[in-house]
Amino acid sequence: MKTKAAVLWGIGQEWKIEEIEVDAPKTGEVLVEWKAAGLCHSDEHLVTGDMALPDEVTAAMGMPSFFPIVGGHEGAGIVVEVGSDVRSVKAGDHVSASFIPSCGRCRYCSTGRQNLCNTGGGTFKPGMITDGTSRHRVGSHELNMMAKVGTFANHACVAEASVIRIEPDIPLTAACLVSCGVATGWGSAVYRAEVKPGDTVVVVGTGGIGMNAVQGAKMAGAKRVIAVDVSEFKREKAMEFGATHTFSSMAEAIPAVNEMTWGEMADKVIMAPGVMRGEMMAEAMALVGKGGTCVVTGVSPMTDVGAAVNLFELAMWNKEIKGTIFGSGNPRFDIPNLLRMYQDGDLKLDELVTETYSLDEINRGYQDMRDDKNIRGVVLY
Amino acid sequence: MTSVDAAHPVDRYFLDEQFIFEQLGSFSVDNFGRCVHTGNDTGPGTQTWQRSRMLGLMKTTAAILWEVNTPWSVEEIELDDPKDGEVLVKLAASGMCHSDEHLTTGDLPFGLPIIGGHEGAGVVEKVGTGVSWLEPGDHVVFGFIPSCGRCPSCSTGHQNLCDLGALMAIGRQVNGEARHHARGQDLGLMCMLGTFSKHTVVNEASCIKIEKDVPLDRACLLGCGVVTGWGSAVYAAEVRPGDTVAVVGVGGIGANAIQGAKLAGAKRIIAIDPVEFKREKAMEFGATHTAASMTEAFGLIQEISWGQMANKVIMTMGVGSGAVLNEAAALAAKRGRIVITNIHPAMEMSANISLLDLTLMEKQVVGSLFGSGNPRADIPKLIGLYREGQLDLDGLVTRTYPLEGVNEGYEDMRDGKNIRGVLVYE
Repeated sequence: MKTKAAVLWGIGQEWKIEEIEVDAPKTGEVLVEWKAAGLCHSDEHLVTGDMALPDEVTAAMGMPSFFPIVGGHEGAGIVVEVGSDVRSVKAGDHVSASFIPSCGRCRYCSTGRQNLCNTGGGTFKPGMITDGTSRHRVGSHELNMMAKVGTFANHACVAEASVIRIEPDIPLTAACLVSCGVATGWGSAVYRAEVKPGDTVVVVGTGGIGMNAVQGAKMAGAKRVIAVDVSEFKREKAMEFGATHTFSSMAEAIPAVNEMTWGEMADKVIMAPGVMRGEMMAEAMALVGKGGTCVVTGVSPMTDVGAAVNLFELAMWNKEIKGTIFGSGNPRFDIPNLLRMYQDGDLKLDELVTETYSLDEINRGYQDMRDDKNIRGVVLY
Repeated sequence: MTSVDAAHPVDRYFLDEQFIFEQLGSFSVDNFGRCVHTGNDTGPGTQTWQRSRMLGLMKTTAAILWEVNTPWSVEEIELDDPKDGEVLVKLAASGMCHSDEHLTTGDLPFGLPIIGGHEGAGVVEKVGTGVSWLEPGDHVVFGFIPSCGRCPSCSTGHQNLCDLGALMAIGRQVNGEARHHARGQDLGLMCMLGTFSKHTVVNEASCIKIEKDVPLDRACLLGCGVVTGWGSAVYAAEVRPGDTVAVVGVGGIGANAIQGAKLAGAKRIIAIDPVEFKREKAMEFGATHTAASMTEAFGLIQEISWGQMANKVIMTMGVGSGAVLNEAAALAAKRGRIVITNIHPAMEMSANISLLDLTLMEKQVVGSLFGSGNPRADIPKLIGLYREGQLDLDGLVTRTYPLEGVNEGYEDMRDGKNIRGVLVYE
């Protein structure tokens, strides 16, 4: 079948709306009509090259080119058709995308770490995670799909492992946000930082991830949730989502946190800036108190190495630095769980959406993100 | 939950309790609290039976329990082809676990007739539709609890509590049908497996693929007893380096709780069993002290721990008894954890324990199923430990029997002669 998709042809280019061809689902695959897709910063990381290898590099490594690629890894939609051996969904089911597939059988899936499913590695290679071949083409070019879900296409063929059935009465706009940003932010606070009642928590960067780390920290009983963001609009929003204090920079936050905690500093610091940089770690670790934890959630450029960390202080003050993907949650448990909290009014999702766009307006949406106008932008089909 | 779609493949298995009740509809509870098959969907002339006559061309041999307190009957059965999501396995070996004995005594009130056995390993002979990850020739161990990989428990690292486990008491295939038949009746399967049979058909959720060089007469023990014991110490008790650990009952479970406690760095492991042979074996598995009873162990632990008592007490007796929980609690230190792994009679509704002692000494009583482990992670993990010589499986097997020797094997178990008896089919 033919459908419309936003395609990125190379690093530094704009999204181009193309008519693409989608094949029917094969064994273990599902054809989904996406109804809503989140404009997440990770897709922007493809444009900037932070999360995509340039053609010269892939060629040198003997790998196929990353481009052209259909963007989008946050999505919710309706199953159109299922291939053979698919048991967890049927045509007509509402589903959320999961940017990390979960096979349910590997060592990580079997021990409550679906966020590290062994099939996840396959999402960085072109071709389906099921058999390595492609189901999407534009002209004579085979298309790569972002996170193997490619939610910037109106229709996409995805692995069963990448979709999670949700209740049909859940708004698909809300569901699409939960599939990555909300779960990642909320889990960064709840699961990875393990925020405890009475904790002082600093969230650096209150975009689509950080805002949900603020919600998670509040729900876990944090005494203080300190939001740090350069954008005044986002600082104001952070207060609505549960922050108790806001600052425009870590430098400004350090003396203030020192004062309000009587010198103990933060129990947990969650780093969720648009682009993570190694040099930010100096101020981040200065915000962390003795025995405290710094969670690194934000994506830094793939090829960056090194971080400004004083290892003497790290050892002497028993501090820890932890990475996290998907907020260390389990897609098949956490996506339905967070949506239930949303339905019960415990989690704000509608308030995250600043503006919606049509697929044709996708470049305007990303410009608005760069201009700090949005907490979250969403494409509606 | 807003809606449940009875026809949906997932709802049907995981969400719709009605489905389970429908399956249970052909069973009722008798005067002894046991689940008895009363439905009219089986027997000669019925649809199920006719279908099995048409399809059930394969014959094999199995040990069937027709009534409680009678011996296992080894006889020819008819076996249907595997259907969607199912696998036909030629079994090589099966452990004789105490839980199957609980079927014959009625402590486990499952529907009869039933093919016993829930510790099995073998070779895949045929796969039904929709099974893409297994093929004929693959070696598999059965997890005694299925793991679907998708339900909330499976998704959060508690495969031992997979929602499919709800169907275990029914003893049929996941879709409610029977594939095993004898004397004109459908047969139930212990734990949806029925490993006291030379061939069986099970759901793929019960299969764990293993490497082909692992001896199947050892691997079968990983389906239940070994992981249950080892995990009771490592996962449920969370034994830490330096701990004092008491293991009450040194059978197929307790011997592995000792091995787990040792690997986790326990300083002292006190094995408690009335049988001298088992106490001797316990020392080989890593126990540092033994006692013939909890009363005897009390003085011993008091002395060797300078009055601090045991950090962890793991209950792995042949049959649990609520009457002796106070003795176990007396062995536990302040903040000590008592792990209940052994099976208690289903109708036992009380336990003898001082709740004041529980509060004032902050003692904990926790239950554990499959050692709180995950079949798909722990079975391969323990095979790895066996390969490296950090887990003794060979020493567990006291004696092997042919399928026809199943009653003799259980007699030996009751007489305390075996750590583990294993049925070997070829």
